[in-house]
Amino acid sequence: MGLLRVEGLFKAFAAIRAVDSVSFEVRPGEIYGLLGPNGAGKTTTISMISGLLEPDAGEVIVDGTPFGSDPQKAKRIMGVVPQELAIYEELTGRENLEFWGRMAGLSSGDAKARASEVLAALTLTERAKDAVKTYSGGMKRRINLGCALLHRPKLLLLDEPTVGIDPQARLNILEFIRGLRATGTAILYTTHYLEEAESLCRRVGIIDHGKLLAEGTLKELQERLGGDRLFVLEADLKDISPDSWAGFHQRFRVIQKTERQLVVSAIGSRDPSDCLKDLLGLPVQVENVTLKRPSLNDVFLQLTGRDLRE
Amino acid sequence: MNPPGTPLTPSLSPSGGERVSERRERGIFNLLRVLLAKDLRRAGRNPLPVFINLLIPLCITALVGLAFGGKSDSGGLGRIRFAVVDEDKTVLTDFLRGAANQREGGKYLEPVFLERDEALRLINDNQISAVLIIPTNFSRNYLLGRAGVSLELVKNPAQSIHPAVLEELLGAVVTALNAIARNLQSEFPDWQRVFEGEVDYKVVAALIERAGDKLKRAGKFINPPLVLYEKDVPTDASKDQPAGAVKRTTQKADPVSGIFGYLLTGMAGMFLLFLASNATTDLHREIRQCTFARYHTLHHQLSPFLASKLLFTVVVLLICSTILLGGGGLVFRVAWRHPAALAGLALGYAFFAAGLMAMLVALIPDERKAGALNTVVGMALGLAGGCMFPPQGLPAFLRDHVTPWLPTFWFVDTARNLQYGSGEVAWVSALLKLLGLSLVLLALAALLFRRQFRAGGRP
Repeated sequence: MGLLRVEGLFKAFAAIRAVDSVSFEVRPGEIYGLLGPNGAGKTTTISMISGLLEPDAGEVIVDGTPFGSDPQKAKRIMGVVPQELAIYEELTGRENLEFWGRMAGLSSGDAKARASEVLAALTLTERAKDAVKTYSGGMKRRINLGCALLHRPKLLLLDEPTVGIDPQARLNILEFIRGLRATGTAILYTTHYLEEAESLCRRVGIIDHGKLLAEGTLKELQERLGGDRLFVLEADLKDISPDSWAGFHQRFRVIQKTERQLVVSAIGSRDPSDCLKDLLGLPVQVENVTLKRPSLNDVFLQLTGRDLRE
Repeated sequence: MNPPGTPLTPSLSPSGGERVSERRERGIFNLLRVLLAKDLRRAGRNPLPVFINLLIPLCITALVGLAFGGKSDSGGLGRIRFAVVDEDKTVLTDFLRGAANQREGGKYLEPVFLERDEALRLINDNQISAVLIIPTNFSRNYLLGRAGVSLELVKNPAQSIHPAVLEELLGAVVTALNAIARNLQSEFPDWQRVFEGEVDYKVVAALIERAGDKLKRAGKFINPPLVLYEKDVPTDASKDQPAGAVKRTTQKADPVSGIFGYLLTGMAGMFLLFLASNATTDLHREIRQCTFARYHTLHHQLSPFLASKLLFTVVVLLICSTILLGGGGLVFRVAWRHPAALAGLALGYAFFAAGLMAMLVALIPDERKAGALNTVVGMALGLAGGCMFPPQGLPAFLRDHVTPWLPTFWFVDTARNLQYGSGEVAWVSALLKLLGLSLVLLALAALLFRRQFRAGGRP
């Protein structure tokens, strides 16, 4: 039973369908990744789940209760980390944490105690008394994250929490989030970074143009491509179509084709060496053939025809 | 910071939302206190915007003080320096010249006697406030009762209030001269001969005696005056007065402080709106930094957040009111007759101004667009409410059908009545109206913000 269940969520802004019939669920102790490019509908989805935005259709169910029937109850068990740094730069890190803790309903004493815990967990104790405006980008991101944790939410909504920070700071935050999963917190994590979704999330939903195109574990998504390996053929493929190669589509599924590259997966459980022979025997001047494990980007490529990094 | 490679490990205990929820709902006042404390702390860390807000009323007071003459040894306006050009040069004009700086007149007036060219040069150099010209044959024409007898006053356009005061004084002199002419007209031919040098002491003595007789007969009408205008009505029996009614006592009016008291209340009515607009920019900042949206993801209503912003603005406005009305009162020696009532009224007006600006932010969350709108709304409310001009001078439709409904008018008119009016001034009802309107505006702001959140996610 998911702590968060989203069913047929829909939101349109004039003619634009920002979120179109999106359904998924997040279970306790699970990090569910919502992966998609900018403008895919991730933030709109999180805004509707957190009650900032009213859906045109669909339902958000938090801990078994429809959000609309008791928003206050749902909000009490949620922690929301917005994509923007929604913190007070003039206040210190500790003051920010204590303030948002008080706002979440903690008493003054509890807020102070929890702020100390969170500061220690985020390794910010030494800078706790400094104004946030003096922090680095990564430290601000950590405080932004910490402000949502004071009341120990059962459900954490993270909207691109690592955007705009350096790789080391990002790794630190990802490690911290992994630790949160261990406490049983259900986490919805939106990102447009493939590596984050691959390394952090147990299940991933791929979203583009407001539609959830696919979801599942990394393995399940890889299987959509026909196995755990892809073949990358490099050649001069200008003005050449795989349709003209006899029997090719019975043996391979085309993931991507450019003027220089053809990415395919094998159909059926065939031996890789046989596949390589087939590819080298194609009527083109093959320059190179390599094998690779399929990534979420390949899944995205297959689903949308576009590279997620574009 | 963790050393590289050392992962961050949360040391958080398992979630326990239920335990936390038991501690919640400590009450709206507790929430407001935390929100307000946060804003005051932020203002303390970044005091520049607040200083600017406080500096504005100080500058306004100082500028008005400079423009209108400011403080002087004699208090209020100081002595009015003006030139008298006597082109008639008779005994009568000597008498008029002498009267200008005698006794009480000398306290307020500083006449200098010059030729026309020199006087006009001084006025061009902004060294005098006006030039009074007594034209040739003024005495002769006056005493012969000829038509078109006039005195000429050239006012200095670079000054505002001093020339206006002189004009009023000259009006009083002309009225007095006309009154004398009506009552002593039969004696004027003889007086004319005396002024032209035909001094027969017997005739002069007889003239003085007859004039004295007439003054004696008129005495009982003049001193004390037959018709009295009493500005204030002293009342001792105030026990039955309704709440908020002010007990009035007769007090010697100070015309100079009267002008500034009138101006200060109007200025406060207008500028407190602009200052409220400035103070409310913090709400724009919260919208821009998404802290308002983050607050909305919590389990609270929007209204406490907005109420805390309103309280913060009210605190700033009360300090500004103290500077404008208190400081301005000291500078211009305005003795506020009912400071407690005025302070209560200022409090109500601060609530209204803050509520209005919060509602305008909700209406137009874009800071730049809102700035222009706030200025227009502030000016319109100020002008139509009689802040800058007396309401009596407004166009009839505006004065009769619009002005009475404006909160600016409720504040300014009640404040002026407290200072200058007679009888009971129901300032409490004005205060309640302002507070009530403030609540309505706050509720409207919350409603607008909620709609914007629902429609677009972020205001």
